[in-house]
Amino acid sequence: MTREEVFEGLKEILSVIRPNTDLSQTGFETELVRELGIDSLTMLLLSLAVEEKFKMRFPDGAPAPTTVGEVCDAVLAALN
Amino acid sequence: MSNYFYDMVPREEMERMPYLPTMGEFVEWMEKTYADSPAVSDLAHTITYKELGERVARRRAYINGLGLPKGAHIAIFDRNSQDAIELFLAVTSAGYVAMNFPASLPEMAVIGSCMKFDIAAIFVRDEFKPLTAKLQGVQVLPASAIAEEKAPVAVVDPDQPAAIFFTGGTTGTPKGAVLSHRALMRGSFNAIFKPGKVIGQHRYIALLPLSHVFGLIAGTMGCFYTGNLIFTCEDMKATIGKLPVIKPTLLVIVPGICDILAGLCKMYGPQFLGGSLRMIISGAANVPPRLVDIFTKLGVEFCFGYGLTETANLTSANADAITHPTSIGKVYPGQEVKVVDGELWVKGDNLFSGYYKDPEKTAEALTPDGWLRTGDLMRIDEDGFLYITGRIKNLIILSNGENVSPESLEEPFYADPCVRDAMVKEDEMNGQNVIAVEILPLMPAFDGKPWEEVEAYMNALVKKINATLPTTHQIVKVTVRTEDFKRTGSMKVARV
Repeated sequence: MTREEVFEGLKEILSVIRPNTDLSQTGFETELVRELGIDSLTMLLLSLAVEEKFKMRFPDGAPAPTTVGEVCDAVLAALN
Repeated sequence: MSNYFYDMVPREEMERMPYLPTMGEFVEWMEKTYADSPAVSDLAHTITYKELGERVARRRAYINGLGLPKGAHIAIFDRNSQDAIELFLAVTSAGYVAMNFPASLPEMAVIGSCMKFDIAAIFVRDEFKPLTAKLQGVQVLPASAIAEEKAPVAVVDPDQPAAIFFTGGTTGTPKGAVLSHRALMRGSFNAIFKPGKVIGQHRYIALLPLSHVFGLIAGTMGCFYTGNLIFTCEDMKATIGKLPVIKPTLLVIVPGICDILAGLCKMYGPQFLGGSLRMIISGAANVPPRLVDIFTKLGVEFCFGYGLTETANLTSANADAITHPTSIGKVYPGQEVKVVDGELWVKGDNLFSGYYKDPEKTAEALTPDGWLRTGDLMRIDEDGFLYITGRIKNLIILSNGENVSPESLEEPFYADPCVRDAMVKEDEMNGQNVIAVEILPLMPAFDGKPWEEVEAYMNALVKKINATLPTTHQIVKVTVRTEDFKRTGSMKVARV
């Protein structure tokens, strides 16, 4: 799976979590907290949804990602 | 006596559950009454009420052996584990005062809280032990500590303190609300009221922190009063991921978690919740009607309520969310309420005794004749349903139920030499309630630099301040003002 494919899957999840947000400008550098308004509880939802979608588990104690790109990288790292 | 609540539960079940005013009496009663029913499980291992009662008695023996005077303060610093549940029951039923520390408490707050609340001993999960390394004058004990022999419950006056709860946020200078045995048990007794049969009907999960009255009283204590099974939760994400295995029938959660579950159902179907969920009890923050709608469509009954740490959690509850979606419900038994100048005042067994070592704040909250000023503006309709119309206090209530004082978040802005004034408030962003700040720059400090640089400086400042805050308290929306704030007569920023 490529970083771009993970990104597209992540955008599908974000479109559900953030239905009122225009995601057309969202890129790898987009900040989760500042630009997408993702607080700690939404981060929990995001991580659960990502794990379910990509059938993987983030390792315990991993630092919380701060950008969309970091989420994609964490998914790829867990898959590999 | 409110029929609204007593009519919810079948009479023969109500007759089996007496109001018991002390934790010792309660622990003995639940062990005897529900002896062979499953009580606590971590999925791998389940213990019955009899086994739970015996383990709590052995914990009491260990605690008695510490040589502390009765009434000493004992902290429990753990996740929502079986150890934490047993310790809370043991400390309180042995005649000591329990204080559950939030699992997210940083080292300095652990030390500060032990000093502020006169903690004599602290039971610590191994994982958190490094955070207690610098404690002095406090016995640091493993959360797993248990004796071989058993000790009986202590006989205490119901008005003696049973527990102290953090309130007013877990950053800055939190206060400690002291709950007597009577208050704790009245709150716990009120937690039994739910529509339909309640005894041995449900599978709970301890999803909310045991340091929060809603998690401890509405969740764990309500579960034990009704002889149900509770699953421990040492990691919220992992536990939510196990819902299909746990198959909960009842969840006591805050709206923020409801939102998460609603989102997961939307993406992966309602089977993600395990397929057995019948009821959600939500509280500690305002419940948006859309959540009631989502779960009602999934066949899940949605009840929500209103309460404060100072009222041992439960003041009112609404089991008629469909017909009264914007109400916080009716007042629980054992309380009197009145509206004074628009503000809800409450009196009853469930009231806290005061803020620990803070007579000034206690006097602000409690009137001399025993009424609690809630700080919430309230309307009561002709049927007795309560409606919050506003908040007198400035506290921001986060979606996870925590309170944040805007003043405490403003402090670091005022420490910056380039800020004239700052105001933190709750605001909306992308349909979500977020913490926002409006900053008025001290323009001379920028020496005629372009506006873009002023904005960039302020955004960097917010980022720097956010780095010192828990994620839940971080400022998400930033506005750099070109015009002055509206000000009061004394030139203070008017909080609007």
